[in-house]
Amino acid sequence: MLGLLETGSGFWSAIIWVLLVLVIGSMVIYIRNKGEDSYKKNTEQDKPFISGNPEENKESSHLSANHIYWGFTEALKGYYNPLIKIHTGNINDYSGWIIVITVIILIMVGVSG
Amino acid sequence: MDKVKLNKYFERSLWVFHLNTGSCNGCDIEIVAGLTPRYDLERFGIKLVGSPKHADVLLVTGPVTSKMLDRVKRVYEQTPDPKAVIVVGACGTSGGVFYNSYNISGSVDKVIPVDVYVPGCPPRPEAIINGVLQAWIKLENLRESMKTAQAK
Repeated sequence: MLGLLETGSGFWSAIIWVLLVLVIGSMVIYIRNKGEDSYKKNTEQDKPFISGNPEENKESSHLSANHIYWGFTEALKGYYNPLIKIHTGNINDYSGWIIVITVIILIMVGVSG
Repeated sequence: MDKVKLNKYFERSLWVFHLNTGSCNGCDIEIVAGLTPRYDLERFGIKLVGSPKHADVLLVTGPVTSKMLDRVKRVYEQTPDPKAVIVVGACGTSGGVFYNSYNISGSVDKVIPVDVYVPGCPPRPEAIINGVLQAWIKLENLRESMKTAQAK
């Protein structure tokens, strides 16, 4: 299990992996400890610099994934707005849509068949 | 000024954060002129940085407008110690033409402690460079006194 595994395009060894993690981890800890430690804790020096503006609380500064698609949804507003309206969250509406679509498909199949 | 003493200070680079608290940009243009090839401040290791957290010196231009009051204090607090503050221009020094204006909180020294004043409207780049040099010397003295205090 701890032996050398030849993959054809290289090798894998659990021991080397563990050793590397230890070596790189120690280097990271060493470099981090060399950092500036004279800053004043629990003051403004602890907080991020936002052009001098106060730091907002985490909730109001949260960026959700749909912010990335803002331009996309804005450009396709004509398509999305009716879709959002259709999604009422009411199960009766959804059942109604299934019945209506099924009837339409059945009619289409009946007419063409 | 002692040349040997000055050379000692030039061994370490000086990072400067420029903060405009309501300046007309006249002083800011002169600061930028100090970085152009004619004066080339960067050859001495003096450079502008994008965050006060990386800075040794705060270079402030303009009178402190009411909107900037909190921000100036915050930026000053976020600058690590030891730090020096240079005020460039007549407005930051005394309020200048905006003295006692309804939307001005006053000169910079009414809000944060100031170490060096560079008066002028706007001051020439040579004057600003001299101001930075004064701040540098003050900062190094501050560093040395902090070191000796720590050693004790």
